[in-house]
Amino acid sequence: MILYYLLMALTSLLSIPAVYLAIIERDLIKAVIFSAVQSTLYAFLYYLLMAPDIFLTYIPVGVGLYTALILILIKKTERYEGE
Amino acid sequence: MELESFLFNIVVLSMIMNIALALYGIFTRPSLVKKIISLTIFSDTINTLVIIIGFRHAVPNPIPPVAIEIPPTPQYLKQFVMQAVDPLPQALVLTAIVIGLAVMLFLMFTTLQIYRIYGTTDVRKISRLRG
Amino acid sequence: MARIIHIFIVVSLVLLVAILSMALSMGGFGFAMPPSDVRTLARIFLNTTFNLDDKYRYISAMSPEAVTAIVWDYRGLDTLFETSVMFIAIVGALAISRGAGEKLLKTSVSKQGMSLITKTITRITIVMILAVAASIALHGHLTPGGGFQGGATIAVVPMLLIVVFSLYLFSKMMTVYKAVTLRSIGLIGIALSTFIVLIIALLYGSSAYVFQNQPKIYSQYGLPSYIEPIVLGGTLLLFNTFEAFAVAFGFVALFILFTFPEDVMKNIIIGDE
Repeated sequence: MILYYLLMALTSLLSIPAVYLAIIERDLIKAVIFSAVQSTLYAFLYYLLMAPDIFLTYIPVGVGLYTALILILIKKTERYEGE
Repeated sequence: MELESFLFNIVVLSMIMNIALALYGIFTRPSLVKKIISLTIFSDTINTLVIIIGFRHAVPNPIPPVAIEIPPTPQYLKQFVMQAVDPLPQALVLTAIVIGLAVMLFLMFTTLQIYRIYGTTDVRKISRLRG
Repeated sequence: MARIIHIFIVVSLVLLVAILSMALSMGGFGFAMPPSDVRTLARIFLNTTFNLDDKYRYISAMSPEAVTAIVWDYRGLDTLFETSVMFIAIVGALAISRGAGEKLLKTSVSKQGMSLITKTITRITIVMILAVAASIALHGHLTPGGGFQGGATIAVVPMLLIVVFSLYLFSKMMTVYKAVTLRSIGLIGIALSTFIVLIIALLYGSSAYVFQNQPKIYSQYGLPSYIEPIVLGGTLLLFNTFEAFAVAFGFVALFILFTFPEDVMKNIIIGDE
């Protein structure tokens, strides 16, 4: 029982650096890769919170479709933000 | 009880920290694609907070809301009601994920059209154009 | 220099979360732990989701999976409007890129796409993805899964096909209009499944509710749901199949519009009439 709580706390503490680096980064492709790392950590958190339906929805939508679509969008517009 | 309470509070407070970081990303970064990335992080964190509301501290261990024994005897049903996690927030979050995906796809199409017509995705340059 | 500032900020954010939660757990506010008992509404949902008692025969949903029963039986109208919101997004995307869709078949295909190793591995994994997605979508009333989960997993396959082979090869098999037509066929299937018990009751001469799955108190008609060792699921099986079909083809239409090559789109927008 205490193992569940320990893993939950560790996963959510690991997701704070991933979100911070995704927002600070100026090269947009690296920002998308950090956002995919954050999505994987959230999917593991859904498994620990006993929600298997949400887990099966979030993995193809969050890690598969969002990342691929934003990578195609970056290829068609600019790659570096700002001056 | 002390250690479990400390670990659970870490989960809730780190979700609030993620909301604050995502809002900072929407307000201050000048690129339209970075704003879209921050908006997806924001909506995912709100969905996680709704699922945390439905969690339950059942005494041996909580189980997901799926009945395993078919046909169920009355003793199994009584134990199932005392141990399973709340199923209603999970159904609402399922709908919310689909609607968030549809809105995000439409925003990506609009960003692509802005780039094709004006030639840039920087909001400071677009606001100087005046039509 | 900038890296040291970033590492310092990250470490201080993590320490802030840990110390604040320790202060809260030593008696700051009243809410410290998740409760050990759920609300009355959740207890009613969990008690009547698969119950063969005589007391609960007229309010039970007859499916061992509580979340699928809530999404398609107890709160079916929410799912109906969510499907229509997805359809409005597809209509908006079609309106932005008008004029595209007919001009792609005129170019020839000659040695496009990635290398031979990538193409062979993609051919093997596509079959595995389709098998897993069919199992998730069709078992929605027994195990975690259902319509939207299976549909989103099927939608990974056209994305792989467009990226590894080229868009010219993919649009020989499937154009935008074919994909939207197939999605409309899936939506017609969902509309028929909501009215099927009503049609059966009208044939026998009495009335029923819309979205009805099992016999209720004032109208005793319903689809078969539990024949001795097999759980059939009533209308939930039909709903899951048609929803997976509709969601997958909706995503195919959006992907073809999104990955159009830029020089063809520039000619369409600037205008060559």
